[in-house]
Amino acid sequence: MTRGYLIRRLLAIFLVLAIVTFAVFAITTVLPGNAAIMILGEYATPDAVAALERQLNLDQPWYMQYFNWVAGILRGDLGTSLRLSLPVSDVVGEAFLNSALLGVTALVAVTVIAIPLGALAALKRGTAVDLAIGLFSYLGTALPEFVTATLLLVFLAAPNSGIFPAGGFVAPWENMSGFAYHVALPAFTLGLILLAHISRQVRSEMAEVLSSDYVRAARLKGLTERRVIRRHALPNSLAPAVAVISLDIGYLLGGIIVVEEIFAWPGLGRLLMYALENRDLPVIQAVTLLLAAVYALSNLVSDIVIAMLDPRVRYA
Amino acid sequence: MTSPLTPAVTETTKAALAIRNYSLSYRTADGIVSALKNIDLTIAKGQTVGLVGESGSGKSSMAWSIMRYLPPNAVETAGAIRLAGEEILDYTPRQMLDIRGRRMAMVFQDPSTSLNPTIRLGEQIAEVLMRHRGLTKVEAMQEAEAALARTGITHPKDMLQRYPHEASGGEKQRVVIATAFACEPELIIFDEPTTALDILTARQILDLFNQLREETNVSALYISHDLGLVSRVVDEVSVLHKGVIVESGKVDDVFRRPKADYTRQLIGAVPNPDRWIGIDAPVNPEPLISLETIGVHYNAPTMLQKIFQPKEAEKAGFWGAKNVSMDVRKGELLGVVGESGSGKSTIAKVLAGLQEFDGKLQFDGKTFASRKDIDRAYRRRVQLVFQHPDASLNPRQTIGTIIGRPLKLYGIVPADKVAARVADLLEMVRLPADYAKRHPHQLSGGEKQRVAIARAFAAEPDLVICDEVTAALDVSVQAAVAELLVKLQKDTGTACVFITHDLNLIRQLAHRIAVMHHGALVDFFDGPDARSDDRDPYTKALLDAVPVHAAAEQSQDMMEGSAR
Amino acid sequence: MRDFFSSPTAVVGTTLLVIVLTAALFGPWLAPYDPQTFHPIARLQGPSAAHWLGTDQFGRDLLSRVLNGAPSTVAFGVFATALGVGVGSVIGVIAGVSGGWVDSTIMRILDGLLAVPDLLFTLLIVTMLGGGMEHALLAVAVAFTPGMARIARSAVLSVRTRDYVRAAIARGESGFYIVGCEVLPNALSPIVVEATIRVSFAIMIGATLGFLGLGAQPPSTEWGLMVAEARQFMFRNPWCVAIPGLSIAMAALGFNLFGDALRDALDPRRSH
Repeated sequence: MTRGYLIRRLLAIFLVLAIVTFAVFAITTVLPGNAAIMILGEYATPDAVAALERQLNLDQPWYMQYFNWVAGILRGDLGTSLRLSLPVSDVVGEAFLNSALLGVTALVAVTVIAIPLGALAALKRGTAVDLAIGLFSYLGTALPEFVTATLLLVFLAAPNSGIFPAGGFVAPWENMSGFAYHVALPAFTLGLILLAHISRQVRSEMAEVLSSDYVRAARLKGLTERRVIRRHALPNSLAPAVAVISLDIGYLLGGIIVVEEIFAWPGLGRLLMYALENRDLPVIQAVTLLLAAVYALSNLVSDIVIAMLDPRVRYA
Repeated sequence: MTSPLTPAVTETTKAALAIRNYSLSYRTADGIVSALKNIDLTIAKGQTVGLVGESGSGKSSMAWSIMRYLPPNAVETAGAIRLAGEEILDYTPRQMLDIRGRRMAMVFQDPSTSLNPTIRLGEQIAEVLMRHRGLTKVEAMQEAEAALARTGITHPKDMLQRYPHEASGGEKQRVVIATAFACEPELIIFDEPTTALDILTARQILDLFNQLREETNVSALYISHDLGLVSRVVDEVSVLHKGVIVESGKVDDVFRRPKADYTRQLIGAVPNPDRWIGIDAPVNPEPLISLETIGVHYNAPTMLQKIFQPKEAEKAGFWGAKNVSMDVRKGELLGVVGESGSGKSTIAKVLAGLQEFDGKLQFDGKTFASRKDIDRAYRRRVQLVFQHPDASLNPRQTIGTIIGRPLKLYGIVPADKVAARVADLLEMVRLPADYAKRHPHQLSGGEKQRVAIARAFAAEPDLVICDEVTAALDVSVQAAVAELLVKLQKDTGTACVFITHDLNLIRQLAHRIAVMHHGALVDFFDGPDARSDDRDPYTKALLDAVPVHAAAEQSQDMMEGSAR
Repeated sequence: MRDFFSSPTAVVGTTLLVIVLTAALFGPWLAPYDPQTFHPIARLQGPSAAHWLGTDQFGRDLLSRVLNGAPSTVAFGVFATALGVGVGSVIGVIAGVSGGWVDSTIMRILDGLLAVPDLLFTLLIVTMLGGGMEHALLAVAVAFTPGMARIARSAVLSVRTRDYVRAAIARGESGFYIVGCEVLPNALSPIVVEATIRVSFAIMIGATLGFLGLGAQPPSTEWGLMVAEARQFMFRNPWCVAIPGLSIAMAALGFNLFGDALRDALDPRRSH
C-alpha cells in the first residue's frame, strides 16, 4: 500500500461526501414543505416568515444556498441550530461522542462474538451446534431494532423487577459500571442483526476455506487440527469478514437512530430525530454528513486492515 | 493373479505400499456409487508405479484412500492397504496424523491452490519439519532452505520469505515438492504434478522428479492421465478405468502388448506426431486472410497518462501481441503453438473481431484496420470455437436454439428449414438429432464441444478458429474431437486456425505451424519441417520438452507390425 | 423443484412465506373479530379461548388486528422493493452494458448515495415529504435504488465477459439481441434473489417507520404502529407488543429464508 493510494482514497471520500452534500441538500431543500412555516407554525404572519427566510437564506436561489452551505462546512462552520440556538458543531460534537461510545461498544462486542461463533458453526457443519447458530442468526436478521428493543425492555427492564435501566446515559469516565449498565441493552439491540449477519458470513467463508486445496494440503502434511484451523483456515477467513463488518457499519449507523430514540441515549440518532421533528435543517444536514463520513472512513480503514491480513492485496 | 516369481506374502512384507483387493464406494443421493473395485497395487521400495486413468476413473479416490483422507460419505467395503507391511486401514485418525507428512507425503496438481496464499513459503515448508522432526523454528528454516536448494531453486533463502503469489508456477511446485521430501518419507504420491504447468516448466519438474527419486530412493505413486508422460517416469503402470484396474505390468509390456481394449483405446488416443491424421495440404495455396504487423496492447496507457506521466505510460500495460504477421491459406489447417501468455489466444480474439488491435487484417480483398471496421460478412465467414464448452454455450438456451442461431442470423436457410438443418448439423458432429431439445448442462464436455463446433460450421464459414478446443477434454475425447474437425474440414473445405499448447497433437494435424512466445511470432514453418535444424531455439526447446511419447512410438510399431 | 425442497431452509422459508402471504391476501376475512371494536371488559388480556392471542389496551382482539395489518405490512415491503428493484436494475443494467464514462459517472453517484445508511436516507425523505404510507413506500424504494443498481450492474458485468456473450459478439449479433437474449436471462437470477431478501428489509424498515410515527397512521393496524401504540402498556401485557413484533419477524424471516434457498438452488455450482 502506497501513500499515493491513501491520497487517492481520501480524495475519493471527498468526492463521495460532495455527492452526499448534494443529495442531502436536495432532499432537505428542494422537496416540498416550507421550512420557515414549519418552524413558526401555520399561523405565523407573512412578515415573520419572510424575515426568517431571509435569516435562513431561503430567499436566495437554491444554488446560492448550496454554495453558502458548502462554503460554511469548508470553513468549519456548520451553522446555528434553529431550535437550540447553539452552534451546530457544539451540539453535534457531544452527540457524536456519545454515539461513538455506543456504536464502538456494539461493534467490538459483535466482532468478538461473531467471528468465533461463525468459525464454530463452520467447523461443526451439519451438527446441532451449526443448526442452532444458523437458527439464531436467521432470527437475528429478521428482528427489527425496535422489536428487539421493546422485547428486551419488557423482559429485562420492567419498572419493578427489571435488571437493566430502561434508558438514559452515564459517561464511562464518570462511572464505568454505570456506563456498562446503561449501554448493555442498546448495544445488544444494535449488535443483534450484525451479530447474526457477520457470524453467518464468517461461517460460509470459513466453510469455503476449509474445503480449499491448501487446507487439504495442510492436513495431508500431518499438521495438527489445531494448527490447521488457527494458522491456515481462520486467518484466511478473516479478510472477507472484515469486508462484511465494514459494510455492516452502514447498517449500524442507521440502527443507531432507532436504538437511541428508544433508549433515550443522547447521541446523534436522538439528535437527528429531534431535528427531523423540528425541521432543524442545519442539524439534519450536519448529522447526515457526519454519518456518511464515518461510513466512508470506516470503509477505508477496513480496506487497510484487509491489505494487512492478505498479502495478495496490494494497493498501488 | 500374482506372478509365481513373487509370492504374495513376501511381496507384501517387502513392498513400500501394498494394496490388496481394496474397494471403495460413496453414499450419494442416488444410492451407493462404487468408486474403486478390487484394487491390487504394489509399490516395491524405491520403485515408481504409475496409475493412469481419465477423469472419473477413480484415480484421485485412490490417492485419498492411501492418505486416509476420505470424505464422510465414503464406504470402504473390503481390502487392505499396507504401508511397509503395516495395515493402515486399522490406524486411528490420531496415528494417521503422525504418518501423513512424515512417512507418506503428497504432491498436488496445482501449486497455486495447494499453497496457502497468506503464509510465506518458508513457513509452509518449515511447519512440516517442526511438526514431524521436532525442530525449532530456526532449525526448521535452515532445513527448509536446504530442502529448497535440493530442488534447484537458485536463491532459496530469498524464496523462503516470499508469498505464493510472488513466485512462478514452477517455483511453487518446487516448494511443494521440497515440502513432500522434507521428512524423507517412504512413499510420495504425485497427483498430476505437471498438468497445471507450462510445457517447459513441466519438463523441468519432471527432470527434478527423476533426479530426486534417484537421490532419495523414495517409493512413489505417479498419478496421471497422460500415458506418454507416465511412460517416461515409471517402472510399472496400472491402467484404471471406471474404478477397476484393467491392466498392469511393466511399462514397456503394457504399451507394447496391451491386453485390455481400454488400454489399446487409450494408447491409440495419445497424439503421435508421426501419425498424420489431417487432410491433404491444399494443392494451389491461395491466401485467405493475412495479418500484417498486428499488435495488441493490454491496459494501454490512456491519453492523460501519456501527457502527464510519459515515463510511466511507456511501462504501463503489456503487449499481448506485438508485430505479428502471418497468413492463413484457403482450406489449410494452421497450427498456432505457445505457452500460456504467449499471445496465441490474443491472435484468436483479433481474428474473431473481439479485440481491438493495431496493424491490418486482409481478408478476401478487404482491409480491416481496426475492430470497428469488421463487418457482419467477415463475422459470418470467420467463426470461433472456444476452449471451454461450458462457458461458450448459453446455459439458458436449448442446443437447437444455439445451433440454429447462426442459421437465422445470417439467413443461411429459410426460417422453416432451420430445424431440419439443425438436425443435419447435429448428425454432422455425430450427435443424435433429439439433442436439439436439450440444454447444455445435460451434455458431457465432449458433446458440448461438438455442439460448439456445429454452431461454428452452421455459418458455412471460410475459416474456423479453434482456441484450445481440446485442452479441457479427456484424452480419448480429445482425439475424437480432433478427428471430427478434420473430417468437417475435408467435407467443407473450410480453413482452420488451430491454437494449442499440445505440440504432438498439432504435428498430426497442421500443414503449417506458427510458434508464439511473449506476444511475438518466433517461428513459422511447414509441418514436416518441425524437426529441421534451422528451427528457432525456442521451438527446439518446446519440442524437446514434450515427452517423446515412447508409448505412442511403440503403438506405431505395433500397428505397422500388425499391418505387415 | 424436488431439489429445491431438499434443503430445510427452503422448506421453512416456503412454509413461513405461505402463512404470511395467506394472511396478507385473506387476513381481513379470516379475522374472528372486527379489528377496531373495543371490548372494554376484556382489556390487556393474555391468550384465551375467546381471544387466541389476547387483547390490547382497548380490548381489541390482537389476532384480528394482526391479520388485518398483514396486507398493509406485507404489501408495503413487496411494492417498495419492486419499485426500488425495478428502477435500480434499469440503472444498473444501463451502467453495466454501456461501460466507459456512463458507467463511471453512474457508479460515482451511487457510491455517494450508498454512503448514507438506508434507514437515514428513508427517514430524511419521509420527513421532508411529510410521513404517511405512500411517502414511506416511495422513500424505501428510493433508498433501495442505489444498492440494487450496484447488484444489477455487477450481475451484468459478470455475465458480460462470459464466452457465450463473446461468441455472440464475434457472430456480429446486435447489441439488442446480446443484452436481451444472452446477458439479461443469465443476470436475472442474482437480481431476483437479492430482491426477495430485500423484501424482508423493506418490511422491517416500513414497520420501523410505522413505529416512529412516520409511516402508517392510526387507526391503521400496520404492525410497527401496533407495537408503538401498545408500548405504554407493554409491562401490563407483553403480548400486545410481542405479537405484532414477532409477526414482523416471521414475515421478514420467511422472505429471508426463501431468498437464501433460492440463491442456493440457482447457484450454478449446485445445478451440475
